[in-house]
Amino acid sequence: MSASQEKAKEVSAKASDGGAGIVFIFFIVGLVVSLLVGWVLFPKVLYCQKEQPFDFNHALHNEMVLDGCQSCHFFRNDGTYSGAPKLNQCIECHTDVQGITKDEEIFVNEYVRNNREVPWLVYSRQPDCVFFSHAAHVLAGEMQCKTCHGHIGNSTSLPVYEYNIITGYSRNIWGHNISGIKKNTWDRMKMDDCAECHRENNVKQYSVQTKKGPCFVCHK
Amino acid sequence: MKLSRRCFLSFGIGAAAGITLSPLPWKLTDDISIWTQMWPWTPVPPDGAYTYENTVCTLCPGGCGITVRKVDERAVQIAGMEEHPVNKGGTCILGNSGLQLLYGPFRVEAPMKRTGERGEGRWKRISWKEALSEVSSKLNQIRASGNPHQVAAVSGSKEGTVARLINRFMTVYGSPNFMTEPSIQDSYEAMLYLMQGATGSAGFDFENADYILSFGSGIIEGWGAPVRMFLANSNWRTKGTVVQVDSRLSNTAAKMDRWISIEPGTEAALAMGISHVIIKENLYNKGFIKEASEGFDQYKKLVLDAYSPARVSDVAGIDPSVIEEVARAFAASKHPIAICGRGKGDVPGNIHEFMAVHALNALVGNINSKGGVWTLPKNEYIRWPHPIMDKVASLGMQQERVDGAGSKDYPYVQSLLNRFPKKINEGSAYPIEALLVYNSNPLYSMPDTKAVQAAFDKIPFIVSFSSYMDETAKNADLILPNHTYLERYEDVPTPNGLQYPILSLAKPVVKPQLNTMHTGDVIIKLAKCMGNSISGAFGWKDYKGCLKQTLGSRWNQLYKKVYDVDSGFAPNKWVFETPSGKFEFVSSLVKNADENNIGIPHYYPTALEGDEKKYPLIMVPYGSMKRATGYVGSTPFMLKAVSDETLVKNDVLVQINPKTAQNLGLSQGESATLTTPVGEAQVKVNFNEGIRPGMIATPTGLGHTGYDEYMGNGKGVNANQVIGTVEDPLTGLNMAWGIRAKLTRS
Amino acid sequence: MKEGQHDQHIKKYGMVIDLDKCTGCGACMVACMQENNIPFQKDETDKMLSITWLRVFKLDNGKPYPDTDICYLPRPCMHCSGIGEHGHSPCVSVCPATATDYSMETGIVSQIYTRCFGCRYCMAACPYHVRHFNWWDPVWPSGMERSLNPNVSVRMRGVVEKCNFCFQRYQIAKEKAFTEGRTEIEEHEYQPACVEACPANAITFGDLLNPKHKVYKLKQDPRAFRLLEKLHTNPKVYYLSSREWVREAGDNYIENEKVDVEPKKH
Repeated sequence: MSASQEKAKEVSAKASDGGAGIVFIFFIVGLVVSLLVGWVLFPKVLYCQKEQPFDFNHALHNEMVLDGCQSCHFFRNDGTYSGAPKLNQCIECHTDVQGITKDEEIFVNEYVRNNREVPWLVYSRQPDCVFFSHAAHVLAGEMQCKTCHGHIGNSTSLPVYEYNIITGYSRNIWGHNISGIKKNTWDRMKMDDCAECHRENNVKQYSVQTKKGPCFVCHK
Repeated sequence: MKLSRRCFLSFGIGAAAGITLSPLPWKLTDDISIWTQMWPWTPVPPDGAYTYENTVCTLCPGGCGITVRKVDERAVQIAGMEEHPVNKGGTCILGNSGLQLLYGPFRVEAPMKRTGERGEGRWKRISWKEALSEVSSKLNQIRASGNPHQVAAVSGSKEGTVARLINRFMTVYGSPNFMTEPSIQDSYEAMLYLMQGATGSAGFDFENADYILSFGSGIIEGWGAPVRMFLANSNWRTKGTVVQVDSRLSNTAAKMDRWISIEPGTEAALAMGISHVIIKENLYNKGFIKEASEGFDQYKKLVLDAYSPARVSDVAGIDPSVIEEVARAFAASKHPIAICGRGKGDVPGNIHEFMAVHALNALVGNINSKGGVWTLPKNEYIRWPHPIMDKVASLGMQQERVDGAGSKDYPYVQSLLNRFPKKINEGSAYPIEALLVYNSNPLYSMPDTKAVQAAFDKIPFIVSFSSYMDETAKNADLILPNHTYLERYEDVPTPNGLQYPILSLAKPVVKPQLNTMHTGDVIIKLAKCMGNSISGAFGWKDYKGCLKQTLGSRWNQLYKKVYDVDSGFAPNKWVFETPSGKFEFVSSLVKNADENNIGIPHYYPTALEGDEKKYPLIMVPYGSMKRATGYVGSTPFMLKAVSDETLVKNDVLVQINPKTAQNLGLSQGESATLTTPVGEAQVKVNFNEGIRPGMIATPTGLGHTGYDEYMGNGKGVNANQVIGTVEDPLTGLNMAWGIRAKLTRS
Repeated sequence: MKEGQHDQHIKKYGMVIDLDKCTGCGACMVACMQENNIPFQKDETDKMLSITWLRVFKLDNGKPYPDTDICYLPRPCMHCSGIGEHGHSPCVSVCPATATDYSMETGIVSQIYTRCFGCRYCMAACPYHVRHFNWWDPVWPSGMERSLNPNVSVRMRGVVEKCNFCFQRYQIAKEKAFTEGRTEIEEHEYQPACVEACPANAITFGDLLNPKHKVYKLKQDPRAFRLLEKLHTNPKVYYLSSREWVREAGDNYIENEKVDVEPKKH
């Protein structure tokens, strides 16, 4: 190797030493930009909002009914769960416009008068591959509604409904925290959350494959 | 500042690190995997409240009670109704897949008027008002010309209020030409009339019978009320013996206690041979013969002279010892029953065979007694006042029927649909100007399809009431679609072969899904469109009103419980309505009964269509529970259950004994041409050791040209294309159990 | 899960099919299709591709006319428990995706479609050919999707499916029991669609461990046999036949095949 070549190498090494700061800045910029994309922009793109047909005040209804949540969300005689109430149930009280809210007006004029079911967007709708039995959890397991559904029963208006543009699931399944971290039991409704509770309570750990709960206890 | 390559690399590494530290890749992976697991285009059936509604299935005359499971307004499953006495919770394959007939795209959506050529499939939707005025003006026009008898109607059955409404309409309109789809019920009724003087149908106390001798009846292949027969058979597996006489190893033959292989068409000879042994060995019921029968001596002489086991053996190809064995076992049983009517019972059959078989029941005295053959009175719940006919109607009704039924040549039957195409094609009777078709698909279900098509082509105006685009509807000029059976009310009389009267009520379990109308309502509305002389006989507001009034006090019970059993019914033991008041071995209702033994049970070889030299084989059609042959086709689920020994792609497989096939130089699976005097079909060869050498068996219920591909359009061959009719000399009913044929390599 | 066997909640659901009563009518097949949202195509004659959880096979004794005899044999999933009841059925043992599983609680071999990635290893492993692969996306002719059962999810292209003894009916029965304050269900409350439909009452279903259930006694009938006993898969579907050739056909040895191990008693 000749002297001039060696020198050139030294120079270039020096130059690069001198640019390390810029290179590091670029690293930081890349890091920050992508963190912003991942944490801020991505959730905005991933979830779309949909409006409920009209707003609903759970707290108000809860005060007026006799039997709490069960008044409208009840078990049928065959053990199946009614879920969101049908128009027939609402009509029992809402044949005419009650109160002065705009939502009440929409409900009566568009749905009650036309005998149309309200196309509610269900926050906790699980995908079709899931079999979930309210009876098993609420009646046999004596769980409370809020363990999974949180304090929706005390809300005065409906939260914004958001859905995942890839899967179509409601955002409540993954939870509002994009990192998937939950503080409360009702913050997430993914399979792991179900499994966690099943493990803690030693529910049906009969699977040969997983030594946990057999898959089709919850899947169909 | 100079941007070096390193800067970019550094940016990239930073970005990669950032992305990794953000939820983006992990969440995206999860979401995409979910997306691939549940494609958005995979249907998700909506959930809801489950309800169960009971009704009666009317897809066949089997009369099973069914329970339909609904999710909100959707019907999602049909199961047998546990409490219904006919089927006790069971269903057949057709009944179970009935929802496909409710929701299928092959239904007729609204009244349709033909715009193209007949059968071309070009239609125009019209309103019900237009449809009714179209029919009424056409019928009025024919009536005004003084030829009301030139209108004919075909109904799937003669029983039930809708069929009776159509019949009533025809009567006040002035046409005697009300025809019904033939079946072995016709032969049983004629036989009961000839031997017992009865005007009713045959019931079998199978639940108490312990020995069943079946002459080719498809006990588990749709004969009688199918599900009831399945249940009876299951009981016989533990207590009872069933002997099946069959020329091929049918499902019934395979599953019964014993299969006696017989030369086809010689069943009557075997029955006579068994009589011979019973009489010769003095095993018959002397009490019955002495007290309750007439003409025994003459019958005895005939039997002893001509039907010794040795002679029968020559004809039927059965070892004499087998004949003796069966005869002794039959006579020694407490409650033996002999039955006949081949396969599913679609072809009425040879009346003398029915008489020969029923004579066995008489010999053991097992008629109208426990575990025997009973006579059921006619369904009497429809008691409408006699309609008043105007002069046109009276004159029209005095005309002889086109099919000749009830005339001096054919006095023992009410309908001879098998003669109808022939008479039209010959032009020997008066022409038919208009035809109404209800619950029937003659262009598919009648033998010799080509002749039926030719006859229909000669009828200028055809109206179909079909819910489906079946063959006949496709060839009609006007379709006035009925509700399907799950959308309508209908009374269901006693099913075929049941030994006690039962009435059931079919109720709508879902709202009409399309712009259809109950045919009962159509008839009442039509009558009202047609002027006083006709509308006077139809005083009801609508069909439901008519039905409610007809059922009277039974309506409430039927509405709640679906069925109503006449619990007071008991057969009149050994009481007969013949002129002699006794069971007649020699029917006094037949003139010159002695002449060629025409009024006496006997055997004679069937003259099958075709020359033996030209057509060396004998082709028999065979049915299966898996393939519907009635007025509805097989559902997509049923076709899925059809074996690959019956249908491969669009080719039908005909069964042939390997030896016969080898003689013809045919190999397994090879394409061949099946030719009979009636027609030709492309088939594939399927070796089957259960087939008698020299015979071919062709499956029925395939080869639809109506409906759609899911319902079997273009799949296989309709066996009716290659089989014809043979007229029974006494009744005029079709008795063709087979046809001569040849099979050649194609 | 050995201790599990002493658990009184442990069940072993199984089936006894009386081949003397079975007429081969196919009502069970169709009831299964309707219950389980099984798709259909215009051509279903290629039986290797046709999805039928329960298929009725025809056996024959191979003799010439008129000594020929045939018998029908409905074949659902056998829900093999494997040697020693450990639940290592052929398919469960090989599934790399944990998509098929054996439940010690019910003895049912399940299949989770969303978990399956379609490698078809289980299909190769199953000696009874009860498993089917969805080569196509299911498509219902317009309007017919209205009769789909909401209790069973529709399968997508690329996954394997099979009979699960109508487990959804067990779940529904359980829900009803919970509502009525019970934790256990009665024999009649959980019956698969095929059993319910059979017009000949040829199929009996229940808990093979429960002496009060009909299957308990029936499986000890001298006519009873299981398919391919020699493989020690320990199936939970028993067949009854009074015909010896049919019972022999259940273990279809190749001519002159050497059998080194006597089938174990389970």
